[in-house]
Formats: sequence, structure tokens, C-alpha cells
Amino acid sequence: MLDRRDFIKAQAVAAAAAAGGIGLPAAAQTSMVAGEDTALKWSKAPCRFCGTGCGVMVATKDNRIVATHGDMQAEVNRGLNCVKGYFLSKILYGQDRLTQPLLRLRDGQYHKEGEFQPVSWDRAFDEMARQWKRVLKEKGPDAVGMFGSGQWTIWEGYAASKLMRAGFRTNNLDPNARHCMASAAVAFIRTFGMDEPMGCYDDFENADAFVLWGSNMAEMHPILWTRVTDRRLAHGHVKVAVLSTFEHRSFELADIPMIFEPGTDLAILNFIANHIIQTNRVNKAFVETHCNFRLGQKDIGYGLRPESVLEVRAANAKDPADSKPIDFDAFAKFVSTYTLDYTAELTKVPKERLLALAELYADPKTKVMSLWTMGFNQHVRGVWANHMVYNIHLLTGKISEPGNGPFSLTGQPSACGTAREVGTFAHRLPADMQVTNPTHRAHAEEAWKLPKDLLPGKIGYHAVLMDRMLKDGKLNAFWIMVNNNLQAAPNSGNETYPGYRNPDNFIVVSDAYPTVTASAADLILPAAMWVEKEGAYGNAERRTHFWHQLVSAPGEARSDLWQLMEFSKRFTTDEVWPAAVLDANPSYRGKTLFDVLYRNGTVDRFPLSEVDAGYANDESKDFGFYVQKGLFEEYADFGRGHGHDLAPFDRYHEVRGLRWPVVDGKETRWRYREGHDPFVKAGEGVRFYGNPDGKANVFAFPYEPPAESPDQDFDLWLVTGRVLEHWHSGSMTMRVPELYKAMPMALVFMHPDDAKARGLRRGSEVRVVSRRGEMQTRVETRGRNKPPRGVVFVPWFDSARLINKCTLDATDPISKQTDFKKCAVKIVAA
Amino acid sequence: MPPDAATAGPPPPVAERHLASLLLHVRPDRQAMVRAAMATMPGTELHIDQPGKMVVTVEGPHEGWIADRMTALHLLDGVFSAVMVFHHIDRPDDQGGDDAPSRS
Repeated sequence: MLDRRDFIKAQAVAAAAAAGGIGLPAAAQTSMVAGEDTALKWSKAPCRFCGTGCGVMVATKDNRIVATHGDMQAEVNRGLNCVKGYFLSKILYGQDRLTQPLLRLRDGQYHKEGEFQPVSWDRAFDEMARQWKRVLKEKGPDAVGMFGSGQWTIWEGYAASKLMRAGFRTNNLDPNARHCMASAAVAFIRTFGMDEPMGCYDDFENADAFVLWGSNMAEMHPILWTRVTDRRLAHGHVKVAVLSTFEHRSFELADIPMIFEPGTDLAILNFIANHIIQTNRVNKAFVETHCNFRLGQKDIGYGLRPESVLEVRAANAKDPADSKPIDFDAFAKFVSTYTLDYTAELTKVPKERLLALAELYADPKTKVMSLWTMGFNQHVRGVWANHMVYNIHLLTGKISEPGNGPFSLTGQPSACGTAREVGTFAHRLPADMQVTNPTHRAHAEEAWKLPKDLLPGKIGYHAVLMDRMLKDGKLNAFWIMVNNNLQAAPNSGNETYPGYRNPDNFIVVSDAYPTVTASAADLILPAAMWVEKEGAYGNAERRTHFWHQLVSAPGEARSDLWQLMEFSKRFTTDEVWPAAVLDANPSYRGKTLFDVLYRNGTVDRFPLSEVDAGYANDESKDFGFYVQKGLFEEYADFGRGHGHDLAPFDRYHEVRGLRWPVVDGKETRWRYREGHDPFVKAGEGVRFYGNPDGKANVFAFPYEPPAESPDQDFDLWLVTGRVLEHWHSGSMTMRVPELYKAMPMALVFMHPDDAKARGLRRGSEVRVVSRRGEMQTRVETRGRNKPPRGVVFVPWFDSARLINKCTLDATDPISKQTDFKKCAVKIVAA
Repeated sequence: MPPDAATAGPPPPVAERHLASLLLHVRPDRQAMVRAAMATMPGTELHIDQPGKMVVTVEGPHEGWIADRMTALHLLDGVFSAVMVFHHIDRPDDQGGDDAPSRS
């Protein structure tokens, strides 16, 4: 007979076997559910960390999370959990959790150089409103701004967008997702007329080849990596190509490993296009029916300050996004110079590997999935790189069908759902609409029940420009929510920190923990996290996923949603809107921003009685209506009927997420393809309906070098990135003792010969020095990351060792996303 | 800024036993090597061993111990990934004693 211990072990094994698709009895799942402790309340939620969007089950007892596990019913992860997900329940309970607003005071008054002291919410908002009103009066709407996040819930991002654009009448709103996937988002719109991937995670089980363009999925997307691994191991013909500027964990699975010279991925992409053309493997029928060709602008600069010599020298830094129509022959001629010889020489990749990679795309019988994250996106030519990967999928027609597709992965849980779909970028409105388009603005004004011509049409400051404007004293009242920008932003010692401490500026940071950003603020607002509020995220495969509030936030911590809406009560339209608008629309006079933005008859139309009685909802209780539902339904109306369709609010609380467009209750797995996408009519086959002519754009771009390359003085490439144990800046994971212990500090990974040449060895204390700043750490010559000679890798999670003091604030000139992967440093003994 | 790792979080309850099952994806040609490495990790037990996949249980005194093993296995040569599926905590001092286990 089994004793209890063996029984539990058998259950654990059976569960793992079931999750791994190993043929053991399905009874495992049943027994697990039956075994769930009856004293615990289990509820579903998406994971708080990356953009994969795993489902987790969360157990609560006495208003505290006591356990989480992978959700067997979630299609994304099927019960699996990575090491970060395993510790989800602990991220809420770090010892230094912020529970009260903290204001810098001296002699009882706010003072820029004062010490942080606890104050009431009233006092905090009074001071904040006073500062906002001062700045609005002195300088107008251009001098206020907000830096949000891909970690905002959908309704938080939406409420913020309304407050900034319609309330304060500025588009100075940008998410930290700017640092993360702006290049991907911009290229999607320029190519297909609509943002976000056409395919979904089901492609993993249908592809014959996977190509990782710079992505290290083994560490950054471990659960999706198990799906790639499963496919590769179970099907002998499946090939995996891994491209990177240094060797990492994903190379274990690589059939075609490829280390290339930083920045030369552009040439590899053009070489593949050329190879497809030269070997007559262009899918001519597809290209003729579904593609346009365009010649892009070249020599577009590097997004540095305009006075930088690199910008002055660039021919087209002022209009980097321009392009003109060409035909297929002109495109073929353009890429014809990217020969095998030229590309091998430039990239330092062996020819046979380049050919093997090109064949994966060229062979019409191979279904290929391209995957990328920061390698492409954090790139001074990131938009080009994204376009170029679409080029090779479009030339071969390998797109929008099971197993065939370019797939842009994301790093934040709602980079897609909030930053992109809600439109919290400085240039965007909901459902892919643009602030510069008068028709789009008019539509938003109507949906929001606002006076005509209220919304500003000027694009606001993007993330890097916000930092520059803060430093230059042109942006003076600034609210940072759910992100740690002082740690995340490039060249932070010169371009970010000075702006936060500029005496002209008032900086507010809402966060759950005292990050380095919060420490540099003037007012800190304590934020509720994750399941301390009702929420919704949208993952990388267009899946919208909801959760209920499961516990209450500690102390006086409040959700970002509550903070945004409550703050809006402190302003009347007369204080912030132009007299002309109010003269023409006198019924709006004397109302608070709360009244006109959130008590507008739409957002407040669902009563408290519709909140699920089994769960708390602190914001709704406070404001007296079902806030989340009202915001979601108002927002969802923007997209319904034209390809961004979301299901009714309540449905999302019942399911493990749905992939939009959701039409007649059915989700869409492959967009633009007849039979899969309800917006493609019978007989059309494929239609890229985001563009008026239904065609996708193939762009011709050259290879251009990075903004800064190693030279005699600074002789090494610096590549920054993440590690398995920590998520982004580590403000949550560094507070989980087990994760902190596993990877306590950011090391500099370098080649043993590079270390030796500098008289260093493993463990040596060193300074990593660039033209902009330096950080001190230790050398690691072994372990999971193995850079080639000439390249070093430093992760950025460590707040005690800020590698972003060294990085360069060069951005892609089109997407304005920073290149965190390429600058020059030297390494010297400390 | 990280807290003192030794003091963060609630105090560890006494005499807990943690058991977790992990799913490993493994290079079939290095499976023997992975088995050998695993044999040197106390508390780690191999249950299913088929080409490319292994199911392993890890037992130890606390969650950190489990996480350490999980990370070590994930980073082992020949292992593509090690992910958690099931985690069980036995708290002998819980009200229901051994008969009312909680699971995380």
C-alpha cells in the first residue's frame, strides 16, 4: 500500500507527466483538483511578469495569497510554471512594501531637497494638484506629462489616456513599453496597417522551423521555450536556428547556431531576401496579389539630441519615416548586393550557416516561425529589422497560417493589451488610431462625449525625449506609474537623473516598492499590485485575460486606477480647458475632470450590484459604480466591428483569456486568412485589411552601422539584457529572497581570453566604463552567457549596479526606442 | 534595492517538507550525463525518463531549496528547460496535520 508521502509523490509525477504530454492517466488532473485544499479559495489570474501571459491559480486564505500554481486549464502554459511564476505569491510581501504616501518635507512644507515623510492621500494630492496647476498656468499643457507602463491593467492605461489627452490636453503620455517594443509596433502598422501578430502560440505546434532573431527564449520566455523544445524533440525534421551576438542558453537547442557582429542582422535579413529571389523561390502569386513594394529613407541618424554630430551629419534625420513606391524588380535589385560573400564577411558568420538559415525561409515546404524581442526592437534600426523579417515572410507567402509566421514576443504582461491596444503612446489613441489624424480625434471626442476639437493633435514627448525635456526644464510636472525608469532608461546619469532632480520639476512616482526611481522623486504614492485589484492584461498573442481582486492592498496603498480617477477630482474644466472650448460648450463649465471623463454616463453605467459578490472591488466601492466594467466597455467600443473586437466584459471573467478579434463569441487564431479570420471574405484567401488596398508593404532598407562601435579607447561591445531569475529591473523579483539569492548581482559576462588580455580573471572586481558613465562589478567568464571575444554582456536588474549609466541614449529614429544592445565600453580593474 | 535576503518575508515555519515535480526537456544524446548530474543532487529523484523528457521530483525543507534545484536543473548542460508543475507543502503543525495538506 502507498503511504501518504508516496501518494503525493505519485500525484506530483502524474501531474508533470500530464503537463508534459507524456502518456499517463488524465486522472492526475482530477486528483489534483480534488486535492485542492478546501480551506483555500482558488481563483485564476494571468502571471504578473512577462508578456507570455501564463495562467496561474492563486490560493487565498485570510486575505493573503498563500499559494500559486500553473493553471492546467490555461492554454498558454498548460499547468507549467517558470521559476519567477513559482514565486508570484511572494512579490506582494516584500518587507519594504510602500504603504503610505511619502512627500519630501522641510519644516513641514514641501521642499525639493526635503526628506521623505509620510503624509495623507489628501495632503499628497493637494500638493500634487498645486504643482500641476502651477505648471499648467505658467507653461501650459506641454509642460505636464506621464510615464506609464506595459504593466498597467487595460482600464488603468485607458483611464490615464483619458486624463492626459482629454483632461490635461496633452499627448505627453508614453509607456515604458517604448523601451521594449515600439519598433515592433511601428513596423506592424507600417506593414499591415494594424498592430500585433497575425498568428498565435498555436504556431509552435505547427512549425517545421523556428528562428530566434536575438531572442533568448530559454531564459526570458521559458514556458514558450518548452513548446519549441517539445516540437523540436518530437519531430526529427524540425530545425531551430538561434541568432545572437553572444552564446546563451537557447543555443543548447540550436541546429543552426549563429553569432553575428552586433548590428549586422540587417545584412543577414537582406541576404535571405536576395537568396529567395536568386533561387527563384519567390511566391509570385502571393506577392502580386498581396504586396506593395516601397523604398525606405536611408541615412536617418540615431535619435540622439539634434545637436549631436551624428544627427547633424545624417542626411535624413528630419524625415526618417519617409518612403516611396517601387516595384518588385527595383526591390530585387536593391537587395542583390547582399551576396553570400559580402554578408559572411560583414557578419563574421560562416557561409554554410547563412545558407542553411536562408533555406529555412526559401524552401516552400518548410513552415517557419520567426521569433524576436529586444534584439530587433532595441536596435537603432529596429523598425527596419522588423520590416525586413516581414519581407522574407511576405516574399515566400509564409504568413497568417498555422506554423508560418513572424511572431513578435513581448516582455511585459500588457505591453500589447494596454500600451498598444489602448494606445498609451505619445502618438496613439485606442484601436490603432493616431492623435495626428483629425478624424480619429473626432471619433474619440464623440466616444468620450467631449466637446469637438478638445483633443490635442500634436504628438507628445516619447520616453527618451521626456527625460531630455525634464533635464532641459521644459517638462515640469511628471507622474511615473508602475515602472522604474531611472534604472531602465539609457545614459541615465546624464539624461534621466538630472531631470528628476531639476529644481523646476515636480516628480511623482507611484510604485509598490522604493525603487531607485521612487527614491529620486518628490512624492511617492503607494500602489496596489496585481491581484490586489481587479485587472486585465493582453499578452503577445492578442489574448485578453482578466482577474478578480483577491486580496486587499496593504496599508493605504491604492491601485493606479484609483489614483488616476481620484486625482482627476481636483481639477475643474475651467482650470484646464481653453475658454473658447467652454464658451462653445457651456454645459461642461464648472465640472470636475472626474465628472466629464468618468461620470460621463458611459463609464458609470454599470451599478455596483454587477460586481461578482464573491470578490472585493475597492475602486468600485469607492466611486459607487462598477468602474472596471464601465471603462472596459467604453474602450471596447472603439475596436468592435473593425478587427479589434473584444468580447463582452463578463465573458472574460469566465475564460482563460480570448484572442481578439472575438466575433460572435469566437476568438481568432490567425488573422488575415480566410477561414480563420471573420474579417476576410470568402474567396479572398488572404487580405491585409488594415491597409485600404488590402496589401502588405515590403520595404527596401540597407544595412547601416550602429551609433557607436568599439574603437581604441573603448574596445568592447556592451550588450545589456535580462536573466532567468529576475524580471526587468528586479523591483519585484529582487524582493523574493530565493530569487535574490540565486542571482544577487549583475556580473559582467566576458570571454576568458578578453579577461586574460586585461590581466583579469573570473571574480575580479572591475569597472565597466563608457564615454557616459561607469559601474563596478565582478567578472564572470563561465556560466550561461558566453560572449565571443570583443563583446561583454551585463544584465540590468541590479539597482546597486546601474549599467544604464554606461549605455547610449541612441534610439531608432522612427520608433524612438533605445538601442540597449550596442555601445562601446572598456573594462579595467577596479 | 534588495532587502536583506535573510530577513525578508515571513519567518520560515518549522519542519515543513516541500515536494515539487518538474518537467525537464533534455537533449536525448546527453540524457545519461543529465542522469549522472542529477544523481549528485540530494533530494532529487528521477521518475520518468523517456527520450527528450524527464519527470523529476525535488524534496526539501523550504521553497528556496526547491527553487535552487529548479534553477540548477534548468542550467544543467543538456537540459533545455526545467519547469515546475506541482508543489506540495506538508506542515505537520497545521491544524489538520498531515491530512490537510495545502498545495502551491
